[in-house]
Amino acid sequence: MSRDQDDIRTLDACFEAARAAPLEPSPELLARVLADADAEYARTAMPPARVQPLPRAGRLGQAIRTLGGWPAMGGLAAATVAGIWIGLSPPEGVQAYLSQPDAAYIVDLPPGVGFDLTEGTL
Amino acid sequence: MPLDAMSDISDDALLVLFANGDRLAARALTLRLTPRVLNHAYRMLGNAAEAEDVAQEAMLRLWKIAPDWRQGEALVTTWLYRVVANLCTDRLRQARPVTLEATAEPVDPAQGPVARLQGADREKALQQALARLPDRQRQAIVLRHMDDLGNPQIAEIMGISVEAVESLLARGKRALSADLIDRREELGFADE
Repeated sequence: MSRDQDDIRTLDACFEAARAAPLEPSPELLARVLADADAEYARTAMPPARVQPLPRAGRLGQAIRTLGGWPAMGGLAAATVAGIWIGLSPPEGVQAYLSQPDAAYIVDLPPGVGFDLTEGTL
Repeated sequence: MPLDAMSDISDDALLVLFANGDRLAARALTLRLTPRVLNHAYRMLGNAAEAEDVAQEAMLRLWKIAPDWRQGEALVTTWLYRVVANLCTDRLRQARPVTLEATAEPVDPAQGPVARLQGADREKALQQALARLPDRQRQAIVLRHMDDLGNPQIAEIMGISVEAVESLLARGKRALSADLIDRREELGFADE
């Protein structure tokens, strides 16, 4: 038998011996690998955050929502209170304006002067 | 689905099943792939405890990639061997020369005592000779002759051409033969 054939035979027998006696994974290693799998799955498969459904609103609630919600209602309430207050107890400037309503409408026109309007000028 | 029924399912299909929450798929992959990565790491490192660490880390990386795995693009084993190779390279760079540890010698219980001793001697001699090879030659030899992979897949794992794999294998086998030839009698080849 040639030297090359001896080499091949020796090497093949050693490979065969190594393949015939593989290192078996210990139960502890397999358990650790599976535990890693469980942990990794739990980490990546977190359930998505649940969207809370809006509570059903009554008629008043629906009206408020239609008007733009509580912020819009706040503005509306402030405007209403201001209007009532001005109506019941008008400030001085407003009182003076309201007490001479006619003066604003007296116009003394000389003869020959009119309010001719040309289309497109206003 | 029972575990036995999963033996016909491909690695990448099992990986997708795992990503979808199938725990049995994880178990099937663990039982199928852990021995392969463990033995590959053991042949590369020559140390069972370190090989266990590498195997666990490689499998953990597999679980992490599962949700993004694209079926049909690459073999799971190719990806996994590449990960193991990188982990082994990191460990080999960190410290010591590769040596065969004194404990945890694998044995084949089916053999008789004499054959078992002889087999153990040959396995040990091979591991010692492997440890003296350059890393890339050792990786190619282990992938080809221990993990029984074809040259194209080895080329893909190592990121080189098939011709380069053939060259590594030829040089590696020459070096192993030169290492083992003086021990032929001791390993029981003289009287065969």
